[in-house]
Amino acid sequence: MRYQEAVALLKRYDINFVEGSVVRTVDEALKVAKYPVVLKVVSDEILHKSDQGCVKLNVKDADSLRKAYLEIMSNAGNAKVDGVLVQSMAKPGLEMIVGGRRDEQFGPVILFGLGGIFVEVFKDFSLRVCPIGRDDALEMITELKAYPLFKGVRGSKPADIEAIADVLQKVSKLLYENEQINEMDINPAIVYGKGYCAVDIRVLP
Amino acid sequence: MNVDVLFNPNSVAVIGASRDPGKIGHVLVRNSIEGGFRGRVYPINPKCTEILDLKCYPSVKDVEGEIDLAVIAIPAKFVPDALRECGEKGVKGAIVISGGFSEVGNVELENELKEVCRKYDIACLGPNCMGVINPLTRVDSVFIPTYKMGRPKLGTVSFISQSGAIGGAVLDLMARQGFGMSKFVSYGNGAVLDETDMLRYIADDDKTRIIVLYIEGVRRGREFFETLKEVTKKKPVVVLKGGKTAGGAAATKSHTGSLAGNAAVYEAVFKQCNATEARNLDQIFDFSKLFESQPFCSGERVGIITNGGGLAVVATDSVEENGLKLAELSEESKRKISENVPAYVNIKNPLDLSGDAGADRFGVAVHSMLEDSGIDAILVGVLFQTENIDSRIVSILVEASNIKKKPILVVCPGGEYSEVHSRMLENCGVPTYTSSAHAIMALRKLVNYSKFVNKK
Repeated sequence: MRYQEAVALLKRYDINFVEGSVVRTVDEALKVAKYPVVLKVVSDEILHKSDQGCVKLNVKDADSLRKAYLEIMSNAGNAKVDGVLVQSMAKPGLEMIVGGRRDEQFGPVILFGLGGIFVEVFKDFSLRVCPIGRDDALEMITELKAYPLFKGVRGSKPADIEAIADVLQKVSKLLYENEQINEMDINPAIVYGKGYCAVDIRVLP
Repeated sequence: MNVDVLFNPNSVAVIGASRDPGKIGHVLVRNSIEGGFRGRVYPINPKCTEILDLKCYPSVKDVEGEIDLAVIAIPAKFVPDALRECGEKGVKGAIVISGGFSEVGNVELENELKEVCRKYDIACLGPNCMGVINPLTRVDSVFIPTYKMGRPKLGTVSFISQSGAIGGAVLDLMARQGFGMSKFVSYGNGAVLDETDMLRYIADDDKTRIIVLYIEGVRRGREFFETLKEVTKKKPVVVLKGGKTAGGAAATKSHTGSLAGNAAVYEAVFKQCNATEARNLDQIFDFSKLFESQPFCSGERVGIITNGGGLAVVATDSVEENGLKLAELSEESKRKISENVPAYVNIKNPLDLSGDAGADRFGVAVHSMLEDSGIDAILVGVLFQTENIDSRIVSILVEASNIKKKPILVVCPGGEYSEVHSRMLENCGVPTYTSSAHAIMALRKLVNYSKFVNKK
C-alpha cells in the first residue's frame, strides 16, 4: 500500500501521525519544510530505507535540505520512487513498535514492543488476537520485559500508558476492519509523558 | 447432531469385528467385554457368525435392535459405504478408527465420508483416531489391549487429543499416576467433529472439572478462539500445542510478520483465552493434578513447611523466580506453632521444622497455616529419608488437603520409599512433585487462573 494511503488510513482511525508531506522536487521540499525536518524516500521498492541511506534526520536549514534531497535520490538508485517525504522532526521520547499481521487461522493479530532495533534484537514483544479491549492492551504493555522503561527509571518521566493502550485499541480495530491488510508496522511510534505520535508506517496488502 | 451418543451409547456395533486376536476389530470387541461396557455389543462381519461368544452380523442392517454407536475398523475405501448403511439403519454416532484419508492425501475419500455423515446426521469422530473412553459407561474404542495400556479410574479430568499416539501414552500415564478421568476423546482428522466441537461438548459436561487439550493445529481458528475463551470461564483448560516450529514465520517482509509466527500466535491465543499452556507432556501432569485436586487460590503468598533447611532454601528461590511471594506468619500462627515444637525450631516462613520432625509437627504447622489469613497456598517439603518420617505423615497431609481451604502441594524428592508415599498421597488427592521448581511452576499457573476466576 502506498505511503500516503497508509497515513490516510491511520488518520481515519484517529491515530496521531507526525505531520509531513510528500514532494517531488527540491523546490517543493523547500516550500513545505518547517525546520528541523526529516527526509525519507517514498518507494514500494525500498524496504529498508535507513540501510540504503534514504533517510536523513534532523535537517536544519535550506542548504542541508538541498544536499540531503540529492543524496537520497542518488542512494535510491534505480528503484521506482514516488517522492520524498518531508516530515517534522518528532520530539525524542520512548520508541515503540505497534504492528499487525493476518494469521491464517486466527485472523488479525496485533503486536507491541519497544521500537527501533530493540524489538529485533531482544524479541521482547507481546501479541494478541484482534480485537482487543483496554484490559488486553494494558496487559500487552505490562508483560513486556521493558515495561520498567515505560514506568520511568532513574528519574526519567513515566510514559503515557493510557495513550499507548488507546493507540493499541485503535490499531486493533483498524486491523480487524481492514481485511486487505496482511502485514503492518508502525515503527517507530514515540510515546511521551503525555500523548504519543506515530512516525513511520508500512502496510503490506 | 447427537455428540453425547459417542460417550453414552446403549449399544455399540463393531464394524470390522474379527476372530483374529491380532486385529484391531478383535481388540475392540474384547475391550468392550473385558472393560464391562454396560450396553449391548454387536460385532459386524459378513464372514463370521460368532466372535467371543457374541452373535456376529453381516451388516448393521441385520441387527434387530437399535444401534446408537458404530465403531468402524475396516479399510478406508469401504468406510463411506459402511457409514451409509449406518445412516439407513438410524445409527446416531460413529467412530472411524481407520486411517488412509486426508492424512495420506486422500482428501476426496474424506469428503465423501463427510457428506454421508451430513446426509444422515451422524456424529462422527475421526477418521484416523482412537475415539473415546468413558469410565462411567465403560465405552472404550481405544484399540490398545488393556494389558498394554491402563485405563484411568473414574474422575473429573477430561482429555481431548488430536493425536492418537500422544493420547494413548498420556492415558497410560494417567492411569498409572492415579488420575481420575471423566472423558477421553481422540478425534484424529476431525473431518466432521473437531477440537472446537469436542471442547464445547466437554465444557457442558457436568462430570468434568478440568479439561486437558492436546492439539497440533486447529481447523476453525476463530471459532476455536471464541469457544476456548468461553470455556475457561466455566472450567480450567490445560493445553499443549505440539509442533511449534518457526515454519509459519517464513517469507514475511515486516518486523511484525517475522516475530508473530505460528508459535507466538498460539501462545497469544492461550493467554488471551485464559487457558493454561503446558510446554511439554510433564507439565500436563504437573498442572492438571493440581487443578484437579486443589481449590482455587486467594492470592500469591506462599507458606513453606519442611523438615530440611536446604529444601526450604530451594523452594524459596522457586517462589521468587516464579513471581510469587513468601508469606509472613501471623502472630497467632507463630504462637500456635511455637507452643507445639521444640525451642530450637526457628518460627518463621519458610518454616524448617528441623531434621528430627515427625508427622505431628507437620500437622501443627499445616493447620496453623490453613488458618492464617496471610497465607494463600502451602508447600510442604517432606524428606522421607529422615529418622522420624514414616507413613503416618500421609494421613496428616491427606486430612489437611481434604479441608480444601487452600491449595496444598507436597514436594518429596527421593527414591523408592519416597515414591511409595508419594503415590499414596496422589491416590488420596494430594498433588506431589519431585522438585519444588515443578511444584511452584504449577502453583504459579493455579494462581494465574484463580486471579481470572476471582475477577469474574
